[in-house]
Amino acid sequence: MLLWLLPPVAWFSVFILVPYAMLFWYSLGHTEDMHFVPGFSLANFARVFTDEPYLGVILKSARIGLTTAILSAIVAWPLAFVIAFHTRSASVKFALYLLVIVPWWASYLVKAYAWKTILGTNGILNATLQGLGFTDEPVRLFLYNEFSVVLTLTYIFTPFAVLSIYAQLERIPTSLIEAAKNLGAGGWEIFWRIVLPISVPGIIAGGIITFSLAFGDFVAPVLVGGSDSVMISNIVINLLGVAFDWPMAAAIGLVIITLGLGLISLTGWLEEKTKVRL
Amino acid sequence: MTTGIELRDLRKRYEGHGSAGSWAVDGVDMQIGRGQFVTLLGPSGCGKTTTLRMIAGFEVPTSGQILRDGVDITDQPVTDREMRMVFQDFALFPNMTVAENVAFGLKTRRMKGRFGAAEVRRRVGEYLDLVHLGTHADKRPHQLSGGQKQRVSLARALITDPDVVLFDEPLGSLDAHLRKVMQIELIRLHRELNKTFIYVTHDQDEAMAMSDAIAVMNGGKVQQFGTPREIYDRPTSRYVAGFIGHAHIVEATVAESGASGLSVRLGNGEVVRLDAPADLQRGEAVGLMLRAEDLSLAKPGEGELHGQVSDSLYRGEYVEYVVDLKGGAGTVHVHEPTHAAPFAHGADVALKVNPAKAHVVGGA
Repeated sequence: MLLWLLPPVAWFSVFILVPYAMLFWYSLGHTEDMHFVPGFSLANFARVFTDEPYLGVILKSARIGLTTAILSAIVAWPLAFVIAFHTRSASVKFALYLLVIVPWWASYLVKAYAWKTILGTNGILNATLQGLGFTDEPVRLFLYNEFSVVLTLTYIFTPFAVLSIYAQLERIPTSLIEAAKNLGAGGWEIFWRIVLPISVPGIIAGGIITFSLAFGDFVAPVLVGGSDSVMISNIVINLLGVAFDWPMAAAIGLVIITLGLGLISLTGWLEEKTKVRL
Repeated sequence: MTTGIELRDLRKRYEGHGSAGSWAVDGVDMQIGRGQFVTLLGPSGCGKTTTLRMIAGFEVPTSGQILRDGVDITDQPVTDREMRMVFQDFALFPNMTVAENVAFGLKTRRMKGRFGAAEVRRRVGEYLDLVHLGTHADKRPHQLSGGQKQRVSLARALITDPDVVLFDEPLGSLDAHLRKVMQIELIRLHRELNKTFIYVTHDQDEAMAMSDAIAVMNGGKVQQFGTPREIYDRPTSRYVAGFIGHAHIVEATVAESGASGLSVRLGNGEVVRLDAPADLQRGEAVGLMLRAEDLSLAKPGEGELHGQVSDSLYRGEYVEYVVDLKGGAGTVHVHEPTHAAPFAHGADVALKVNPAKAHVVGGA
């Protein structure tokens, strides 16, 4: 009778329940001579908050994630607005929409690598600046620091923000804008009092996605980040692959998941609060 | 100088996919006196909404002029026109409460300084009371019914005291009962506020019931502009006669035309006399407009027209007979009181025509 439930239950158990249980099991143990010793200790969780550099890197990753989310929203909003309101022809609208998605057909690694060739000392940006005579020496500030990490992450994840803001703006009927004009409101008033407030849930939804993706990223710090721009996922990878400290890695993972769930509930609540029924 | 709104040879062409495009509004001339309730009536695509949107300033006319109290406002931006519009989909701001929606027009930058916070609050209360929504000030639009939303939209439009209010099928999304209630409400507001109402609808009952004057539109042109009574009793074209009421048009030729009245001869040779004189030539082809309520059935020989009952429909208020005229001259509908002796299906009957109400429209 309930045979159709078997695939989802199996999928859920094998890929979600069991891995979480294992994660939890590992986090309670410790290692001796790089070998896992089972146990029932919360010491690893305590170390996340007391030992260097864990908490600091988690906070820095959160800062990078938040900056990325904010910058993505700032870039994405006008773009989504133009696609939703200032594109009369349906085919142009579709073309713009497609252009936003198209970069996703290219590999993440290639895109991150591309920034290296743009920002590097022999890169396109420096060559242009030197060619135009703005500088004699190549500028080293562009690459291998937090700036380049945030820039790369913003570039890569902005489409998610565009799509979620666009989805919200698209639902605003033209008659709302016309009604506001008819009542004597100018362009900025319409933006501040109607369009922007209605788009807030889309900004939040896009923000959750870009923040989560940027927060957990480990490619950008490796490719375009400096020695000090390690993010929390890089630490976890090191604990797993280099130090073989799986219990510590598991504990960090669980802390991050808990923080993530908290954040999602908070923003979910915010989204509900700011939601408007069109 | 004329007060009110004047449209001079107003035209609007949308550049379509073809090279020529098509004229949505094709030369509209109209004078709407201050304080009048004027309805633009017609089927969808007749140009009525485009005309209204040009008056509001949402569409730029391809050619022609719009004058307000004698001043050309054709190029005036929509934001400056201070004519308020009530939309079919209400267009309430979903992120604001009912009170904030209503106050919107008082709080725009151009109104800055004109209304203090206390004055805004007082006015919002006053206009919410005017539309019977005093207790709903703090609700959000999605918590209201369709009729309540339209009342909010009305209060929002009226609160800045505009002399012209535009309505774009405002009752179109309401159910039949609510439409009737809102019609009475709109007539009351028009009477109390003494503003010019320009109203767009495809519903002829609505237009007849509310308007001082109706412009019947078709194909981007005004077919006839007159009072509801003129439009109903004396349509000037077959189109208007067919569009308004239950008129049936029977082909006829003028048998006699003079100052005392008019006689027309149907295809089957029968003759109908009309009271109204008309400037028509003997032998000219005309359409004889016969409305169901201007005809009555009688025994054969007791009326000027003859035919056979092909159907009868009990409508509650009256019985509607469908009668095929003798000799295939046409088909008419007749309303008979329900208490009258019924006529059987297939019965031969005579029809009496009310000579004061029968009417001819020109052209074959």
